Amino acid sequence: MHRKKEFIDIIKQHEGIIYKVSKVYANDKEDQKDLYQEIVYQLWKSVDSFKGKAKISTWIYRIALNTSITFLNQQKRKSRQVAVDFELLDGIDDQDSIMEERIQTLYTHIKGLNIIEKGLILLFLEGKSYDEIALVTGFTNTNVGTRLGRIKQKLKDQIKK
Amino acid sequence: MELEEMKTLWSEMSQEIEKQQRLTDKLIIDMTQERYTSKFSKIQMYESIGALVCFSIAFFIIANLGKLDTWYLMTFGGIAVAFLILMPILVLRSINRIKRLNIATNSYKETIIGFTRAKKELLSTQRFGIYLSFVIVLVIMPVTSKILNNKDFFIMDHGVRLWILVPILFLFLFFFSRWGYGCYKSITNSAENILNELED
Repeated sequence: MHRKKEFIDIIKQHEGIIYKVSKVYANDKEDQKDLYQEIVYQLWKSVDSFKGKAKISTWIYRIALNTSITFLNQQKRKSRQVAVDFELLDGIDDQDSIMEERIQTLYTHIKGLNIIEKGLILLFLEGKSYDEIALVTGFTNTNVGTRLGRIKQKLKDQIKK
Repeated sequence: MELEEMKTLWSEMSQEIEKQQRLTDKLIIDMTQERYTSKFSKIQMYESIGALVCFSIAFFIIANLGKLDTWYLMTFGGIAVAFLILMPILVLRSINRIKRLNIATNSYKETIIGFTRAKKELLSTQRFGIYLSFVIVLVIMPVTSKILNNKDFFIMDHGVRLWILVPILFLFLFFFSRWGYGCYKSITNSAENILNELED
């Protein structure tokens, strides 16, 4: 395996991003695990092509979001589970059930968005600037702003219901 | 829950997740290796089965071309062989196009566009194949009749059996195609919506 050590370090340092993207795009725990594995696999496949021109997190967001689009659209996951099993994080501290509940509500609102909106809101919530979001998504800055405006309105309407 | 509250909550959650890192070196490598292996065998299986069946039938017809002794049987045989060879190649090419999407260098937008277009192409090809299969059934019947029984379908006495078998076959093909078309249509429509949205 190429650049094995570097790859392992990248994954360990950014496993939080992979976790959050999987959780936003997948509907249940099994899908989430499967998507998580797929993102790790795609990162492994692409690690050689990472030239270091962009920030490593930008590169990871890009691959994670792109993998989520293609993977969840084309797979019937039940037929392609792989043998390696692992525990995904259950979320935050189990004792803080109020926070856990609020996080679940947050995910429910995000899951109500379409495939494009999910990616944009995730990057927005991650505190990324419009420039960074544009870099990851390929939309122009203006377009990112317009879309995020619409998404925020959509979320507000959703929350009011 | 307000948007600013969402952002704060997301940030708190991110901090908690950072504290709970659980992946080990071995797990990362095992996970990647397993995925690679499973993907490899899956691709191998999908790509071989369908194409193998079609190519075998095509080879069977080619090997028996000498038995097709009239111009119309030769024409039908040629059409059947062309369909059995070209159709799987077209489908495999479409599948390959989806697989080849370079998610490492493409932007999110490019991936959605590339994937959606490739998917639409795959669905159109499969739909085209389903419709064409109605014609191919009619084409392949005289060919197999001549090769297997040495009887010219157009001048032989069919008896009652043909009048029962053909409608059953067409009925099956009709329902199968309608079901297939329904599935393809809904997927294609959603793909279309995504493309339209991107053009906003």
